[in-house]
Amino acid sequence: MITFSKKFWGIILLCCTFLLAACNDKSATNNEQKNAGKDNNKKITVVTTIAQIGEPLSVIGGDRVEVKSLMGPSVDPHLYQATHGDIQTLENADVVFYNGLHLEANMVDIFEEIEKSKSVLAIGETIDKSKLLHDENNAVDPHIWFDIDLWQQALDAAVDQLKEYSPENASYFEENKVKYFEKLQQLKEDTKKLTEIPEEQRILVTAHDAFGYFGRMHHMKVVGLQGLSTDGEIGISDIQNTIDTIVKYKVPAVFVESSINESSIKAVIEGAKKQGVPIQLGGELFSDAMGKAGTEEGTYLGMYRHNIDTIYTALKGGSNTNE
Amino acid sequence: MNEVVLEVKNLTAAYQKNTVLRDVNFQVEAGSLTGIVGPNGAGKSTLIKTMLALHPVLSGEVHFFGSTYKKMKKRIGYVPQRGSVDWDFPTIALDVVMMGLYGQIGWLRRPTKTHQRMAFEALDKMGMADYANRQISQLSGGQQQRVFLARALVQSADIYFMDEPLAGVDAATERAIMKILDELKAAGKTVMVVHHDLQTVADYFDHVLFLNRTVIKHGKTNEVYTEDNIATTYGGSIRLIGGRIGNVVHPVKQ
Amino acid sequence: MWSILLNSNTQWVLLSTAILGIAAGTIGSLAYWKRQSLMSDALAHAALPGVIIAFLLFKVKHLFVLITGAAISAVIGAFFIQGIRSSTRIKEDTAMGMILSIFYGFGIMLLTIANRTSGNQSGLNNFILGQSASMVQSDVWTMSLLAILVVSVVVIGFKEWKIYLFDRQFASGLGLPLKGMDVVYTILLVTTIVVGIQAVGVILIAALLIIPAVSARYWTHSFQAMVIISALFGGASGTIGTLISAIGNGWPTGPFIVVLAASFFIISLIFGKEKGILVQYWQMKRHKKQEIIQSIPTSVLKKEVQ
Repeated sequence: MITFSKKFWGIILLCCTFLLAACNDKSATNNEQKNAGKDNNKKITVVTTIAQIGEPLSVIGGDRVEVKSLMGPSVDPHLYQATHGDIQTLENADVVFYNGLHLEANMVDIFEEIEKSKSVLAIGETIDKSKLLHDENNAVDPHIWFDIDLWQQALDAAVDQLKEYSPENASYFEENKVKYFEKLQQLKEDTKKLTEIPEEQRILVTAHDAFGYFGRMHHMKVVGLQGLSTDGEIGISDIQNTIDTIVKYKVPAVFVESSINESSIKAVIEGAKKQGVPIQLGGELFSDAMGKAGTEEGTYLGMYRHNIDTIYTALKGGSNTNE
Repeated sequence: MNEVVLEVKNLTAAYQKNTVLRDVNFQVEAGSLTGIVGPNGAGKSTLIKTMLALHPVLSGEVHFFGSTYKKMKKRIGYVPQRGSVDWDFPTIALDVVMMGLYGQIGWLRRPTKTHQRMAFEALDKMGMADYANRQISQLSGGQQQRVFLARALVQSADIYFMDEPLAGVDAATERAIMKILDELKAAGKTVMVVHHDLQTVADYFDHVLFLNRTVIKHGKTNEVYTEDNIATTYGGSIRLIGGRIGNVVHPVKQ
Repeated sequence: MWSILLNSNTQWVLLSTAILGIAAGTIGSLAYWKRQSLMSDALAHAALPGVIIAFLLFKVKHLFVLITGAAISAVIGAFFIQGIRSSTRIKEDTAMGMILSIFYGFGIMLLTIANRTSGNQSGLNNFILGQSASMVQSDVWTMSLLAILVVSVVVIGFKEWKIYLFDRQFASGLGLPLKGMDVVYTILLVTTIVVGIQAVGVILIAALLIIPAVSARYWTHSFQAMVIISALFGGASGTIGTLISAIGNGWPTGPFIVVLAASFFIISLIFGKEKGILVQYWQMKRHKKQEIIQSIPTSVLKKEVQ
């Protein structure tokens, strides 16, 4: 028994040492962050939540801004819990932008607090309320970035805020903004290819109701397995209702989302197959998060195009009218 | 002389950090009925557990029938203290006695009607036939003890160890148990009993083992059951009542 | 509304949770008599960090990897509990409570880190509350295998388990390999826990391991019956819980299973044939009546007759 307890305490000691080492690592990165802020005090430190805000702003802001997005690829903003490090980052920012409309559900209090001492803007809330979508419980659909026009308006509001913060760079920002918005309009043109999908196949079945604005803009019916938020366990009736829709409209393909676990969609596919509808997995869409930073899908334009192409390929191909 | 069925040499055992048994040496002959007595903390239960490999041995040897415990397991029967078991466990008296037959039934096999009959007969011997289907939580202390004893009997062992079988039982049960022990002795079996009541040792046992962490004295009752040995074992002063040993007073320091 | 029951998905969930319930109820009865019901809960919680570490180390969502991680973590937790108990003065339930909260807290911390780096795509969150609704055909097979394993081991060695739980010392005397049985028992328990966690989550698997066994206690004085009733309660909780959740609109399956199990417990507590409150109350009343009748002196009775 004596040797056993010696081993036991030895292991405890080892664990404590590892924990301490890990902690030390973390504090080092924090110091680096602080110093970085101080060194480049010419650049405006912009902190955003989702990269759909951050990436376009980094293009528009050019080399006058340093943009950091808290939520990276595959991160679900509905469930995201800010850490102490995140709060530090926010406090060291010059300007803060977030989506609002209850997308970053767990960060509401944090923003209310930071607003008091900093320039903070919920760009989603600058949109004209009449243009927003609601669900059957009258909750606001926050996924506005899928409506290119609405998103342009939101980004515009953000740029105005930047100009206000840094008037000396105003004309620089304006120039870049105009160029970027031209690209947005070009994107809008490219989405027209979705009209080639036959009427009866224009149904978008995904993991949650993130594509409301997308559907409205491109005239597609959207069905999400979960509702507006990914919070909460999926029920059997959710799966069944989705399968019923698939069977009713003979939907050719469903899509998984990069920020959501795919097991539920897989269950839907298997269930639909059992009912004689050979539904396929159409591919992965970016819903709440974009792709890896530095890649094409890591940009707003690239992400959107990826979605368009994926949907187009999956839905335009055969239909399921014949078993 | 009779065959030596149990030999203990220089046995030492500890409980957590304290040495509970030190240098225990004794030999037991076949057909003897030995009472193990000693004050609280003397190591009586530990002695039995250590011999039966239920407690680790620090040093020393134990030989059963000239061989090791492992090899002789089938010839050894054990009746543990009644409090060592949760009597709330959902089972009937007959089932408990059947447990004594598991060695004979064989592992992973089902008990047969024959085994059931053997178990029932053992219960009957202990006067518990009417209680065979009774839930053990509904039995009195004495009845539980009899069930335990029936379980031991059904093992058909050659040497039995019992830990305080007469503690907290009614007079009728005490008589029944001692009757069985005498029958075992008559059949040539050996029995060693940790006994809680010094006064009745002379009535029940033909051999006595005085234990207080080590063997103070071991031998035939009529030879070793003396005031001196008792005094040495219990370390206190004794009051004689009517020539018989009365209360044993333990001093505050051990 | 009832048509939903004919659907494959509902059937898959029904079967999976029912079979899991049976397995959990069976091994849970053993845990009950080992006085280790809390251990089931502690091990379930202790499995969480293992799942996440396995994911972070191997960067795969392969279920087998995650389950192995869970098992290792749970066993380490058991090791620590044993260590605390044998080398300090801390009692077993305190040790279990400590390990439960420490490991679980550690797991949640790792989960936060994992979610930030690779996102919710990993599905690691489902290990906590489970996602029973997305069970598919393969889950039914997995649960069936588990149940067959647990039930057959318990049934084949039934009398050995009985003595192992009732009287360890006597069992050792008979030559029963106690350490071996400890290992088999732990393997069954940990396997049930880790298979159950990936389907119904940490919280729910503990409920299925503990509640049906406790409920069964109130109905019988036979160990065999208790194990069977416990398995039935477990299976019924899974079945009825799933049924009710399927009928509602967007109702989550997991919580309903727990509520069903709890309902069985309350019914057992009150109406249980052997130890239920109501039954004991009636018995007491009947005894009181007999007492009163017996205490009437015979002289009074004689007078009545005259």
